[in-house]
Amino acid sequence: MNLFSGTIQTLEGSLDFASAKNRVISNNIANVDTPGYKTKDVTFKRVFDEELNVSFQAKQTQPRHIPFSQENPQQPFQIVTKQNTTYNHNGNNVDIDKEMTELAKNQIYYQSLVDRLNGKFNNLQTVIKGGR
Amino acid sequence: MSVFHAINTSGSALTAQRLRMDVVSSNIANAQTTRASVNENGDYEPYRRKMVVMEPKGESFQSFLQQATHSAASSSQGVKVSEITEDQTPFKTVYNPNHPDANEAGYVHMPNVDPLKEMVDLMSTTRSYEANITSLNASKNMLMKALEIGK
Repeated sequence: MNLFSGTIQTLEGSLDFASAKNRVISNNIANVDTPGYKTKDVTFKRVFDEELNVSFQAKQTQPRHIPFSQENPQQPFQIVTKQNTTYNHNGNNVDIDKEMTELAKNQIYYQSLVDRLNGKFNNLQTVIKGGR
Repeated sequence: MSVFHAINTSGSALTAQRLRMDVVSSNIANAQTTRASVNENGDYEPYRRKMVVMEPKGESFQSFLQQATHSAASSSQGVKVSEITEDQTPFKTVYNPNHPDANEAGYVHMPNVDPLKEMVDLMSTTRSYEANITSLNASKNMLMKALEIGK
C-alpha cells in the first residue's frame, strides 16, 4: 500500500507549475519597457501535446520512426511565446494589468497548494499517532 | 535551476529602471547646459538628451549559443541595459544675444531636452519600478510559504 497517495504527487506537480509560472510572470514584468519583447506564458504541456497530436500525427511505417512530439514526462508544462499581438508602438506586447492579475492569482494558488499539502501531512501525522 | 530565479529576474529589472531614472534625472538637470562638450572646431556643444536601450537577458545570439554548446538550460532571464544612446534631433535655437554662447546673429543652441517628455518617462519608470517590487514581494512570499511545507 502506498503511504503517500497520488494526491501528493499531483500537488507536487502543481507546485512546480505555479513556481514556473511565477518565474515567467516576473520575467514579463521585468521586460515591460523592453522594445520588441513578446509575452511568455506557461501552458500544460500534456493538453498542448494532445491538441497537437489530434491535428498533427506523424505517419510511422516503422516502430523506430521518431514521432513529431517527443515529450519528456518530467515536465508536464511548457513555456510558449505569444507572437501575434502588439500592445505598444515598440513591438512589446506585455499587458501589465493582465500580468499583475496573474501574479496575484498565482500567489493565492501557490499558497492554497501548500496549505493542502500541509493538511495532507497533518492527516498522515494523525494516523501515525493513532488519533492521539 | 536556482530557487531565486524569479527574484533575480525582478532584481535585474529594478537595476535597469533605476538606471533609467538616473538618465532621466541627468537630462532634466542638464536642460539648460550649453557647454556639455567641445566639437572638432573647438566650439562648445550643448547637452544631447540621453536614452536607455533595454533588451531581454538570455535572448541574445551569445546566450543561445551558450545554451546550445553547454546543453544545460542555464538561460538567465530578466532585463539588461544594452546601451545609452543620444537623441540626434536638432538643438533648439533661442534668440538671446546676451548669452555668452550666442552666435553673431544672437542665437543660442539649447539642449534638445523636452521637460514634458522627461516627466512622462519619469512617471513610467516609477510605475515599472513599483510593478517589479510587487513581483519581487510575490516571489518572496511564495518562497516563505514553501518553507512552511511539512511544518
